[in-house]
Amino acid sequence: MTRDAAMAHLDTYLLQVRRHLKGLSQAEIHEVLEELRAHVLDRVEDQLTPKAVEAALEALGSPRDVARVNVTERVAAVMEANRTPLGVLAAVVRLASLSVMGFVVFMVSLAGYGLAAGFLLVAAWKPFDPDHVGLWRVPDPNDPFNFVLGVMLPRPDGVELLGWWIIPLGLALGLALGYLTWRFGVTCVRLMARAGRRRPAADPVRTEPAV
Amino acid sequence: MAAPRPTPEDELARWETQLRKGGLGLAVLATLWPGRLYGLEMLRRLEAEAGLSVPEGTIYPLLSRLKAEGLVDAEWVEAAAGHPRKYYSLTGLGRARVREMAASWTSFARGLDRLLAPFMGDDQ
Repeated sequence: MTRDAAMAHLDTYLLQVRRHLKGLSQAEIHEVLEELRAHVLDRVEDQLTPKAVEAALEALGSPRDVARVNVTERVAAVMEANRTPLGVLAAVVRLASLSVMGFVVFMVSLAGYGLAAGFLLVAAWKPFDPDHVGLWRVPDPNDPFNFVLGVMLPRPDGVELLGWWIIPLGLALGLALGYLTWRFGVTCVRLMARAGRRRPAADPVRTEPAV
Repeated sequence: MAAPRPTPEDELARWETQLRKGGLGLAVLATLWPGRLYGLEMLRRLEAEAGLSVPEGTIYPLLSRLKAEGLVDAEWVEAAAGHPRKYYSLTGLGRARVREMAASWTSFARGLDRLLAPFMGDDQ
């Protein structure tokens, strides 16, 4: 009976950890939970009582903190192994639901990559449809700075300002913005992993070694 | 309102924590040098031999990072205890890395010891 109660307590804790393991695959979630289960069972040894399990769970930390440090470390480790723009974007997507910072980083990355792709598309499209690709100043009595950039069908009224220069400018802006967004993603994923390690419960403490 | 200024004791404690964190990766890898261990055995060795009490919830994420870097391997083994245990061991790359890290650490510590000797009483 005591043993069943202890196992039920452990299962409840693992269920709570599982709720916070957002962004991990099913296989990774299974791995994390089984490792925590084995750890607690090792710690209590043959004293499988609710009190012993409670002490072991307290030493592990709150389900939320344990889950968060697992998610950020694993996602950051996968990203370090594949730091292509897609690999970094995948890491950012996986961390998006973990915290407010994760969501903000995801939105900024989405906007950055979207704009970069837009500039590159404009530059690539210009040779195939020169009349409809460009930067126009469109006359508007209410707005003296009314500019339109991109692939426009139909062609807007007004003066096209860049001509063929839109190709090198679009390429340069697209590549620069793509690089900056990639750099931003790498830095933020590393910062989030570091923040998980920096929680007070995650600091190693000095104790006197046994003699 | 400005945040209260940290006391010298707080600053020292923060510096000590950073120092320990810096050495934690090496310490964890070093526990695996003699052979494979599971998580709790590693924690106990760290505490008993290096005086490092590592928060239990953080050892597995650290091991998963070391595994992703190819420094350790892991395998589940059915134990006599009645539940499976995940054992970690050093890979070839891990053994090479731990040697390099140990050499850097020792060289750094020796240099610092020489510098500290005059006011630590070692020169008397």
